Amino acid sequence: MNPRGFQDGRKTSRDGDLAKARGLEMFAADRYGAGMLWAGVRRAGVAHAAIEGVDTSRALAAPGVVAALTHADIKGSNRQGVIQRDQPVLADDRVRHRGDAVALVVAETRQALAAALELISLQLSELPAVFDPDQALAKGAPIIHPGHAGGNLLLGGRVETGRGEAVLAECAAMVEAEYRLPWQEHAYLETEAGWAIQEDDGRLIIVSSTQTPFRDRQEVAEALGLDPARLRMIAPPTGGAFGGKDGVSVQSLLALAALACPGRPIKMWWSREESFLASPKRHRARLRYRLGADSQGRFQALAAEIVYDTGPYDHLGGAVLTLGLEHAGGPYRIPNALIEARAVYTNNPVSGAFRGFGVPQVAAAMEMTVDLLAAKLGRDPLDLRRLNAVRRGDIIAPGVTLTGSTEIGQCLDRLEAHDLWRGRRAWKEAAGPFQRRGVGVAAVMHAVGYGPMVPDVGNAKIELGADGVFSLFCGVVEMGQGNSATYGLLAERVLGQEPGSVRLIQPDTDRCLPSGSASASRTTFTFGNAVLGAATLLRERLLARAADALLGVAPAEMALLPGRVRHLPTGKELPLDLLARLMTPEQRVAVHRHRAPASTQRPSADPVLQMHGLPHEVFSFGAVLAAVEIDELTGRLRVERLITAVDCGGLIDPLLAERQVEGAVVQGLGYGLYEEFLAREGRVLSPDLATYIIPTALDAPEMETVFVPGHEESGPLGLKGVGEVGIDGPLPALANALRDAVGDCPRRFPLTPERVLEALAGAGERGGRP
Amino acid sequence: MAKVILPADMGQLWEAMEAHPEARLYAGGTDLLVRLRAQAGPPPALVCLERLEELRIIEERGGELFLGAGATHAQILEHPKVRGRLPVLARALASLGSPQVRNMGTLGGNLVTASPAGDSLPPLYVLGAEVQLISRKAGRRLPITEFIKGPGRVDLNPGEVVAGVCLPKSEGWTLQHFEKVGRRDALAIALVSLAALLRLSSEGVVEEARLAWGSVGPTVMRAPQAEAALKGRPLGLASLGEAAELAGQALTPIDDLRASASYRRRVAGNLLLRLAEREA
Repeated sequence: MNPRGFQDGRKTSRDGDLAKARGLEMFAADRYGAGMLWAGVRRAGVAHAAIEGVDTSRALAAPGVVAALTHADIKGSNRQGVIQRDQPVLADDRVRHRGDAVALVVAETRQALAAALELISLQLSELPAVFDPDQALAKGAPIIHPGHAGGNLLLGGRVETGRGEAVLAECAAMVEAEYRLPWQEHAYLETEAGWAIQEDDGRLIIVSSTQTPFRDRQEVAEALGLDPARLRMIAPPTGGAFGGKDGVSVQSLLALAALACPGRPIKMWWSREESFLASPKRHRARLRYRLGADSQGRFQALAAEIVYDTGPYDHLGGAVLTLGLEHAGGPYRIPNALIEARAVYTNNPVSGAFRGFGVPQVAAAMEMTVDLLAAKLGRDPLDLRRLNAVRRGDIIAPGVTLTGSTEIGQCLDRLEAHDLWRGRRAWKEAAGPFQRRGVGVAAVMHAVGYGPMVPDVGNAKIELGADGVFSLFCGVVEMGQGNSATYGLLAERVLGQEPGSVRLIQPDTDRCLPSGSASASRTTFTFGNAVLGAATLLRERLLARAADALLGVAPAEMALLPGRVRHLPTGKELPLDLLARLMTPEQRVAVHRHRAPASTQRPSADPVLQMHGLPHEVFSFGAVLAAVEIDELTGRLRVERLITAVDCGGLIDPLLAERQVEGAVVQGLGYGLYEEFLAREGRVLSPDLATYIIPTALDAPEMETVFVPGHEESGPLGLKGVGEVGIDGPLPALANALRDAVGDCPRRFPLTPERVLEALAGAGERGGRP
Repeated sequence: MAKVILPADMGQLWEAMEAHPEARLYAGGTDLLVRLRAQAGPPPALVCLERLEELRIIEERGGELFLGAGATHAQILEHPKVRGRLPVLARALASLGSPQVRNMGTLGGNLVTASPAGDSLPPLYVLGAEVQLISRKAGRRLPITEFIKGPGRVDLNPGEVVAGVCLPKSEGWTLQHFEKVGRRDALAIALVSLAALLRLSSEGVVEEARLAWGSVGPTVMRAPQAEAALKGRPLGLASLGEAAELAGQALTPIDDLRASASYRRRVAGNLLLRLAEREA
């Protein structure tokens, strides 16, 4: 029952794997205990309505029910959200989508909870609803947030460079296309879950599956009207997050329940169906692209119009839009551009953060359009990309100068030299009966960190314990990517200790220091530098203290070795536990704050876009080569091989980096081939894992990851983020491979067998194979 | 909590069914337990059949092959009499669910669930399976086409359980084929599936063809016109193309989330063309 007991303990990429596979790693959802209560919410069930009343009396009278609460029980703002605080904890005046929480019940058992939730009576007066972003922006559309200045436009962004879209008319070749990308559900192993208790002194301990414990504390305090010091947030390793836990889910509800039931531990754990209904999705998007080049194939102009359906709440939708805008033209020199993006409120399910954060949508559109242009120019698609790929110092479409390490050229070179690319003609010709084969390419870039305005800060703390063992207090969450193992490696390297010897303490707002979210490809990039700083500081202090203890020798004569300090000239040694006891507890702790570099460029004068993250200073790059086989009889598309070349700067743990890329690739293939989150009039039509198809191990292709040599000055040991760059390329690479195989490719996703068969039929009508 | 009864022999089974006439019967639970989870209100009493040895028998009986209803898909798949002699059934079972589902789910469950997408069913239709039912006092046997009456509807009286299926002696099929089209490669529900048995003359002329499709109608569908179109003709793209056309007309698929009716109709026919590439 002690929520503090599980977070300590060493995790390396090796022993952590086995624990994970055996289910031994304890997620927030894995906590149970005697006397534990269950909390759950009644959801609205209608897409848009005015709330006239919520009657909890029958639920409260039901057996086993301890509390039944509504917005009237909330003392604070009852609003949460990262940038716009527009999402209620419990809906008050209005319901904005079917999954809105309206009442909270706490009961002795799950069965009593389920029965009581049914007894809550909602008096709702339905309002006209809107489910299409274009209709939401039309005159007379029902307004979802009457107080919002932009009406249903959450945020619009526009960047024009050079002479803008006018240059398209002057281009020797121009192509245009419109694409539609679907919602994508995170579908993590661990659905939203948490555990809370109000202790005797009134403090609330909240253990939850989250990417943002420090920000959660502030949001929960504000929404419920509490002193933040009263809240202690603990973030164990998550069972997957991918952006879906970059924002409050169960935290405020658990806090509210704990306030009503002091002394009793309370658990909330969303069912899969509830998670699908109420958790944020990757934004579905409609993108219209026009791209022009001169007769040599040099890109001259881009016009991109991007519409993101953000659902009823911001939930980082504005930041998603801004990142999409920044990456709209991909890793290419494009001197003239007009990029317009809109994020639009609708009564659909909520959209928000998802690995890639607006970039997978624009990368899909850009990279498919580049292939259309290559076909029109009669150029080899890989060659055309190499011609236009950026080098350090070049300017990308939205007018951002690349000042950091930029190795997309090397990535493309590696694909060009790969036997899959070199041997593609023979491989394609060897296709069996009723099979067609194709090979496709995509090139992508992905920003690292928050952008210019929001401070991208990590605060690391390292302590030498009285037992002579170092503890590293992690400020960012371990969500399966192995970042804490990497922090351990960094600290051990500086402190001269054996791998695996530093104890890792997972985020806890009472013990660790605020270090931002586990998101934005920033965790190791930012926090890793903070770890290096704290470890260096502590090393210097230990060497100095040891030098004093050994009667005034110079610190430069001392070496910090595994478990001991050694005076090199004499060979005298001081064990670390003895050294620790010669120091005060304060002396044995070092902290270091690191702020990642913030861009001083201003490609847009719009302060709102700057605040939402435009532009970034550091980018990772990637290029994907996909080989696909298509069955003419069924439209089944099988990815046979997929090669990803990645520039993520230096590598600290190559195994972990490779897994990040492979995980992202499989998630990207799911986005391209299988995953179709469907909603009609806001009602989820794919409510579970039987109807929402994600790839299984059998569906993963043979994958190969190639890391090109690189070094980013501002990263720890030259590293850049690698968490997201792998997800941007698979969808367009396999779409381009499909086009290579059959001469056409759908502009709607995912590429179901049915859509592929239609493409085959369409290409047949137009004269078959290219 | 639901009451779960685990009879150890047939006597205990009949007693449990008489004491709890409202109880739901199950073996692996891969269909029923998923459905109960979605159901509101208290769960019904459950009678679990997994400990009944009599229902797990796989054996030859007077020239027929008997597959017990309680045999798991994995047990049937691994049985030498199935793997070697009934590749049409083995391939279908190998595509069913995942290893975990095949280790739990049973043939009887697939029959009683009677989904048009049940992967074991198209092979059982072309193999001419008969379903053996038993009750405390009597037994009866009927063709699978009569036992399965519609989606989720079977001819099973109160007090009866499915004992197993009887497969007639193999009739010298030269070609046994099964293919399933799903949205992915494991844990996939069939968008369309085809089971085919062909007997060819030494000259490659079709003497008999039996074809059955899954997921293109309320039950597994046969298309006698398509079978007739193959009979007496050499197996090749010409005859198969004609049969595919006729099959497309005979089948009655529906639109759902997974695929449209027109896709299913078209692919159901297309799947026949694969037979041209199969080694006889």
